[in-house]
Amino acid sequence: MSLQQVTAPGIGPSIGSPAPVDVGLRKWIGARSSDHLIKVLSVLTLISLWYLLSAVLPSSVMPAPHVVAEVLWKQMVGGEIWNHVAISLTRIVLAFTLAMSVAILLGFAMGLSRTAESFFDVWVVCGITMPSLVLILTIFMVVGLNEKAAIVGAALPVVAILSINIWEGIKGIDQKLIEMAKAYHAGQFRIIKSVVAPQIAPILLASSRFGLGLIWKMVLFVELLGRSDGIGYKIEFYYQMFNMGEVLAHALLFLFVMLFIEIVLLGMLEKRLFKWRPAKRRL
Amino acid sequence: MSSAASIEIDHVSKIFPGRGGAQDFKALDNATFTVDAGEFVCILGPSGCGKSTLLNILSGLDDQYEGVASIHGQPVGRHGVKGSRIAYIFQEPRLMPWRTVRSNIEFALLASGFAPSEWKERIDRCLALVELADFGDFYPLQLSGGMQQRASIARAFAIEPDVLLMDEPFSALDELTARRLRQQLLTIWSTFRSTVLFVTHNAFEATFLSDRILMMTKGPGGRFCDEVKLDGLTRPRSYEDVRVFEASKKVVERLVSHVGSLDEE
Repeated sequence: MSLQQVTAPGIGPSIGSPAPVDVGLRKWIGARSSDHLIKVLSVLTLISLWYLLSAVLPSSVMPAPHVVAEVLWKQMVGGEIWNHVAISLTRIVLAFTLAMSVAILLGFAMGLSRTAESFFDVWVVCGITMPSLVLILTIFMVVGLNEKAAIVGAALPVVAILSINIWEGIKGIDQKLIEMAKAYHAGQFRIIKSVVAPQIAPILLASSRFGLGLIWKMVLFVELLGRSDGIGYKIEFYYQMFNMGEVLAHALLFLFVMLFIEIVLLGMLEKRLFKWRPAKRRL
Repeated sequence: MSSAASIEIDHVSKIFPGRGGAQDFKALDNATFTVDAGEFVCILGPSGCGKSTLLNILSGLDDQYEGVASIHGQPVGRHGVKGSRIAYIFQEPRLMPWRTVRSNIEFALLASGFAPSEWKERIDRCLALVELADFGDFYPLQLSGGMQQRASIARAFAIEPDVLLMDEPFSALDELTARRLRQQLLTIWSTFRSTVLFVTHNAFEATFLSDRILMMTKGPGGRFCDEVKLDGLTRPRSYEDVRVFEASKKVVERLVSHVGSLDEE
């Protein structure tokens, strides 16, 4: 195998191309921009569909995108909305930390010990089957309509599914690499640091992204049910006032904030951590 | 020091206890042999005869066995053997995919206690020996299977092992690649002269590589049943050498006489 094949799979000069510049250009147009173009078209289509829907439905039910954008702009300049974003984000961070900590404990215990696996198996299965609404209402009843209940209520419904995620990951750790390290007589500490931890990191990162996506929806839900601040509360408030423009504006802003965290922050972290992985192949 | 025993296996048996009422499984039955320092010995036997169990005992991966296994007179334990460096080449490359080839070798050097100042020179030398000089900064998944196995060979020789254990390292490769790697292995070994214990079920491979072949019967409870000395085959050896081919035919005949038909493999 030659060096070139390794670094640039599948890229060869096309037949009859007069100059390498042309090949480069075509490659650029072909690979890069067709992907971007499709994404831009996808977003435009989504907005058009929204317009179409707003044309069919009364504007009080489904306001057009530019109307919502205007409402959103006023809110963003006005400033009050940012307080609610901050409140919701704080709840997300707390609930996420709580859910991840419990899930890590459960997932590791189940991945490492047979006894723990058979013991918690039932709990976890019950946990994923139980409707989130029931769990949240129960927590509100037991703990009371307060901040503590909101955070526990947002965290609890996702603990089971996160535990399963981490448990599966731990079971997938490559024992053969650990054997290799032992055969070269690496110490216990070095095996954990250099062989086990690098395999656990991607599991935790994937679970974090997954968990965050679930938690922020739970937090909005909890706020809607039993809090008097936060984006979830504001959405419920404007819903009661039949003000769909505000409902959509709040939802949209929060969506942008979460997309930023999810794609930009976690996505970049993932890219940095996994540069050793070959590019994904399409089937 | 001409024929000091490097590896000593004295009445070693290994029984895997049966789980949940199942019968105990005897993987190795009363094995006894020695390997001299600098000798290249192949253990030849059918699949499942306990060959790999033996390597796991010698490498310290498995310390639940009967009998005595020692290297340079010291019993083998979980943390290796004092004063001897042991390297292990597995059937698969077993490289950490998140580390570059160079960094994978550094892991072995660190575990074996080499000073970081020596690393670069050792790694460059061993990568050159396996013709991977330009690939040190590549990640394993960017390389072909044969190249990955060569990297794992470089890792083994980088720690300058006194004893090198090899567990069917070429059996997962296509025959042409395997041939090249066998030749390469002999060339590298001739400069290092480590004691090698090489496990295989391939009679030709055993003949081509080793000074001496130890044959094992079928498992479970595989036993050592025969020994073939290959002193007559001078080194360096080549695939075109008719004597290697003739010798391997005799080895196959003897193996068949002990094991029965080889077809079942």
